Amino acid sequence: MSMTLKSLDPRVDRLGIPEEWASPMAPKESLDQFETYEAFVQMKENKPFEHVGPVHAPNEEMAFLFAKEQYSRRGMFCHALCVIKTENIQTTGFTDNNISIYDSIESMPSGDESESFEVFHLLKRGKQHKYVGNVNAKDFEDALAVAKQNYPSEKPVFNVWVARSEHILTSDDEDRDIWETLKEKQYREAIDYRAQDKIKAFKERTSEA
Amino acid sequence: MNTEALKELLYKIADDQLILGHRNSEWTGFGPLLEEDIAFSSMAQDKVGQSWQFYKILNELGESDPDTVAFMRNADQFHNCQFVELPNGEYDFSLIRHFLFDTAELIRFTMLADSTYEPISQLAKKIRGEVKYHTMHANIWIKQLGSATPESIQRLQDSLNQAMPYALGIFEPSPFEDDLISSGTFVGEKALESEWKKQIKEIIDQTELDLPDMDSLTPAFGGRSGNHTEHLQPLLDEMSEVFRVDPTADW
Repeated sequence: MSMTLKSLDPRVDRLGIPEEWASPMAPKESLDQFETYEAFVQMKENKPFEHVGPVHAPNEEMAFLFAKEQYSRRGMFCHALCVIKTENIQTTGFTDNNISIYDSIESMPSGDESESFEVFHLLKRGKQHKYVGNVNAKDFEDALAVAKQNYPSEKPVFNVWVARSEHILTSDDEDRDIWETLKEKQYREAIDYRAQDKIKAFKERTSEA
Repeated sequence: MNTEALKELLYKIADDQLILGHRNSEWTGFGPLLEEDIAFSSMAQDKVGQSWQFYKILNELGESDPDTVAFMRNADQFHNCQFVELPNGEYDFSLIRHFLFDTAELIRFTMLADSTYEPISQLAKKIRGEVKYHTMHANIWIKQLGSATPESIQRLQDSLNQAMPYALGIFEPSPFEDDLISSGTFVGEKALESEWKKQIKEIIDQTELDLPDMDSLTPAFGGRSGNHTEHLQPLLDEMSEVFRVDPTADW
């Protein structure tokens, strides 16, 4: 008879897993990861969408789900969420030392407004890209020229992201309630675990001994 | 309003949420991928929190306090449907149950938002958003795995076939069905069931899965009147372990 796997977690013991299953996982082929999507969160109605991070997912809807789990907090912390496939975001180069990336864009808007693009600015190195607005242009480069004209910034813009509007999956307005939650949820918050009294009592007990 | 009818309605909702919440929590640390570990754990907390709110309404109607009600009853005193007490099985079964049960729950809470009994309608409105997200989560996963690979489709199909008689047990009629309907407290299990069939079909039709012929199945009734599978009592023993050792134990 084979032995079962012993774990510090009693739930694992109860599963009665044969010990020989504890062998290391078979090596995986490289490049078996899903493609990446970038997630953006709008914390409040009048605040811009901000980049929060990437997720790996097999499609846009799954990316939305994973982004919701990983990057959005309920209560007062999320109003809307959107995801864009990373490869669909066109990025400019980076600048530094108070030089704006727009200084290197010299072309003028073409006047062809056949496609809709969304524009994100990086105003501080190490911070997130923030949504600035929508432009109509003929391609990515043209979108940058229009953005330069439409969104002049007092502060230097170090990097710009541009994505076609059709490539963005945004939460529906009517689904905003998925971020609502019951107020009485202290049991979910670590802050409700007040250990100070117990530590104090323990210290008093041990110092007396 | 007939108080016994009201209590019966509240107990079955609260017990469903508590028991499935506990089952969901058993995925903590075991999820097939990190996002699902987080999702099931988070939904577990939502469901346990929702059950607590329903137990509080029961408390106001003269029942014991929520902790006592949750931790001190034996299996035959629970009103949950058998569906929610079944072991998690593999992820495919948990996912199918999550989909079938939460779809029903969202419809139930949407219907209860119009209840003439104010405490229920207010609570139903408050927790609708949470349950809406749970169904959004379930629907996206079912659509994904229900059309992904031969293995994922077969696994979901097997689980769907296995789960369906139990899922139909959600809609076991209450002895007070007529009172609840005529008083405008709840539109009744029949109305809920027919809307549920419509909504799960809409999702299943977008996958490679086949809905079993529901009319030929015998629903797993009994849970609402305390007849449970052998799986509920061990769950209750584990859930109430700490409370039974020290009823004053606190966060």
